[in-house]
Amino acid sequence: MDLPDLERFDTLPKLLVHNGTQHAAAVAMREKDLGIWHEFTWGDVLANVRTIALALTDLEVRRGDVVAIIGRNRPNWLWSEWAVHAVGGLSLGLYEDVLGDEAAYLLNYAESRVVVCEDEEQVDKLLELGDRIPHVAWIVYHDPRGMRKYADPRLIDWGAFLARGAVVDASDPARFDREVAAGKGGDAAILCTTSGTTSHPKLAVLEHGRFMRHCARYLERDPREPTDDYVCMLPLPWIMEQVYVAVMSLLSRIRVNFPESGETAMHDMREIGPTHILLAPRVWEQTAADVRARIMDANRANRWLFETGMRRGIDALEQGRRDWVADALTFRSLKDRLGFRNVKSAATGGAALGPDTFKFFLAMGVPLRQLYGQTELCGAYTLQDGSGIDFDSSGLPFTEVELRIDHADANGVGEIVTRHPNMFRGYFKVDETPDVDAEGWMHTGDAGYLDDAGRLVVIDRLRDIATTSGGDRFSPQYIENKLKFSPYVGECVVLGDGRAFLSAILCIRFQMVAKWAEQKRVGFTTYGNLAANAQTYDLIAGEVAKVNESLPPAQRLRRFLLLFKELDADDGELTRTRKVRRAVIDQRYAPLIDAIYAGTSAVRMDAEVTFEDGRKGTIDALMAIRDLAADAVEPA
Amino acid sequence: MDATQEVPAGRRLRAREIGDVLLEVRDISLRFGGVRALSNVSFDVRRGEIRAIIGPNGAGKSSMLNVINGFYQPQEGQIVWQGEPLRKMRPHFAAANGIARTFQNIALFKGMSTLDNVMTGRMLKMHATWFEQMVYLGRARREEIEHRRYCETIIDFLEIQAHRHTPVGKLPYGLQKRVELARALAAEPQLLLLDEPMAGMNVEEKEDMCRFVLDVNEEFGTTVALIEHDMGVVMDISDRVVVLDYGELLADGTPDAVRADPDVIAAYLGVQPD
Repeated sequence: MDLPDLERFDTLPKLLVHNGTQHAAAVAMREKDLGIWHEFTWGDVLANVRTIALALTDLEVRRGDVVAIIGRNRPNWLWSEWAVHAVGGLSLGLYEDVLGDEAAYLLNYAESRVVVCEDEEQVDKLLELGDRIPHVAWIVYHDPRGMRKYADPRLIDWGAFLARGAVVDASDPARFDREVAAGKGGDAAILCTTSGTTSHPKLAVLEHGRFMRHCARYLERDPREPTDDYVCMLPLPWIMEQVYVAVMSLLSRIRVNFPESGETAMHDMREIGPTHILLAPRVWEQTAADVRARIMDANRANRWLFETGMRRGIDALEQGRRDWVADALTFRSLKDRLGFRNVKSAATGGAALGPDTFKFFLAMGVPLRQLYGQTELCGAYTLQDGSGIDFDSSGLPFTEVELRIDHADANGVGEIVTRHPNMFRGYFKVDETPDVDAEGWMHTGDAGYLDDAGRLVVIDRLRDIATTSGGDRFSPQYIENKLKFSPYVGECVVLGDGRAFLSAILCIRFQMVAKWAEQKRVGFTTYGNLAANAQTYDLIAGEVAKVNESLPPAQRLRRFLLLFKELDADDGELTRTRKVRRAVIDQRYAPLIDAIYAGTSAVRMDAEVTFEDGRKGTIDALMAIRDLAADAVEPA
Repeated sequence: MDATQEVPAGRRLRAREIGDVLLEVRDISLRFGGVRALSNVSFDVRRGEIRAIIGPNGAGKSSMLNVINGFYQPQEGQIVWQGEPLRKMRPHFAAANGIARTFQNIALFKGMSTLDNVMTGRMLKMHATWFEQMVYLGRARREEIEHRRYCETIIDFLEIQAHRHTPVGKLPYGLQKRVELARALAAEPQLLLLDEPMAGMNVEEKEDMCRFVLDVNEEFGTTVALIEHDMGVVMDISDRVVVLDYGELLADGTPDAVRADPDVIAAYLGVQPD
């Protein structure tokens, strides 16, 4: 389809008004509520956004003010965001699972006057902050459940909020159109949190015109139609979900579907049968692990079908063809079961996806493509084109995107440096943009190289590329992704920078190991108990040995331990998008790391853990350290 | 400025006022042959409150609930339901008048889905004939849609959407308890009897269940009478507590009063606190 004229529709609300009037009867989004999919046309969406926008003006949101939005992915979230843009405000999405301190930091940084919350859970979080969020004058909440007990004057219920909008509309029906018309392409629209693997997140300022033009570049590479369906499952505050849902849905009018809850999302996705999907690497990994878990339970015939199909499929994939036997016998029904039957384009991004997981889905016939980008550059700017055999690149850059590799070593590996005309304006309220040089090049801090076809291959964060004391360079992330392809390994952290050899702290994938334990009649109680079991160690040692076989001798893991708990964003060990924070791990688990390299066979640790409600507790755990024979497997 | 901050830790601010007496049991005595399960027990349950019944094993707690919903017939005594004295409570009368319950040992239809189990809670509210239901026309269709919608709000409320179509026998214990609560709520009860709703649960499941019981009380205004062994739970969520011991009423009052009662300490908790 032809994209709209971005000269004429230079802001998101202008385009929304266009869609809402020209395509008023076309379905724009669906939400599953009480077990039933409800449809909203573009006309409905515009009407809702209009009321919300006018209600915001009544709460004295003025052009340039920041409105924060926090809650589960729902149409309301998106309507509120567009409404903020309509009145010239800046939207700031907060992650649903953000903890109080983080929320306070961001709300104060953005000086947000109004916060739109989904339910009591989010309201609780804000009220507990007391007078630590002095700028917040209004807390709008959508779900009244459990709210009766509060009498805070800042609170306003969704119904009362909308009623204010209706009053404004009645007294001044032209107000909304005036507000929309006042917007310009160069206005700031969205504050997007950067992932902040090292420190507090920063807020990148994204402008209407630039962001829309950049998303149009994406659509040139990977087009979508008004008859296509997308399921909104990733956190809305994340840059790529903003690209897909807040901007691309306006540009291409692809229908956005909102699942009933996080727990039902995969099932709801199957009901929709989306044509386009974007999932985080961990979701792809989890899906692949689930498939293999279910195959473990299947009868012999089905196991044979799966294994044969998978083997034939992967062989065919590596030769650049498809195997019709495997497609007919295995993959057709498997794709249907997973809800991938109608997928025209699937993407993964946010972190690296291991090549084995990648092949698993490609073999199945899911057209999975790796993308690469940063918040500051309006999300993805390279994407695989979906043709040819390419398991490790992130594809070619979009039109107008310039890409170069600085300080390349003998193999061409260096820092990825990039710029394009539609990137972010700068960080909010901060004059300095240390990563952007005078000519507008953004130094990403990622290591990578360009292959012969000019495609970008991303290796790891530059500062994470490590060197052993013997002088061997390695990428921890590369090895971690290999380990995570094992259905039994959930998270892992590969160590070895400045050390004599490589080792790893592993977290078991509880669901799978528990199933395995049941089958093997290994008794256990909790996660920690199962992770400490000697037979679990044997199991994982076997998995690590398999990965070791595929690695050069200097990069093989010599020792590992199984952590007594899962790595958790609430403990600061992962970012909200679930990237490992290495500095935190190094500091928190320093005693474990020291023990691994001191050669001891076990280590005890008192660790502080943060529960979901923010309370803290301590766990005292004894963990064994397992040795692996480094020279057991000679390279072929 | 912040209303929540004035509430001392561990105590909740009540969103609803406690009303008049909903149910009263007077001088109830229940015998099984020579065994006296209950002797002259009297107490009342007020509209909107959460009433706990506690006591050691064999104190007669479950018997008391069974008397209230008419499953057992006491030899002596009287039950007053909404000001109307009844010589005997009958199970069908209890169900039709808004008394719903859950059981100590889960009593669900194991082979049926969560949704179907919850729908059975609406049975008494369906009026279509079996023929209408068979051909799914007119009244049957209208009723089915209306009741399904109500059940879905309960499913949503108790956050069991992901298990809507799962046979309940396959669900973990904690979730089965929740489904049973959902079925009881589907009957839109005035009085909800919960027989050890948190038994056999881990800490997290217990916290969830407490949350749900409080939410039910608050959102639907449902009066709750519950039997529970976990003293922490009882003290946290109930408004008033009845203590039974060997079928006799030992104490009746607020959690703090009951906790301080020397008889209760001696009989139930067994040790003198510091």
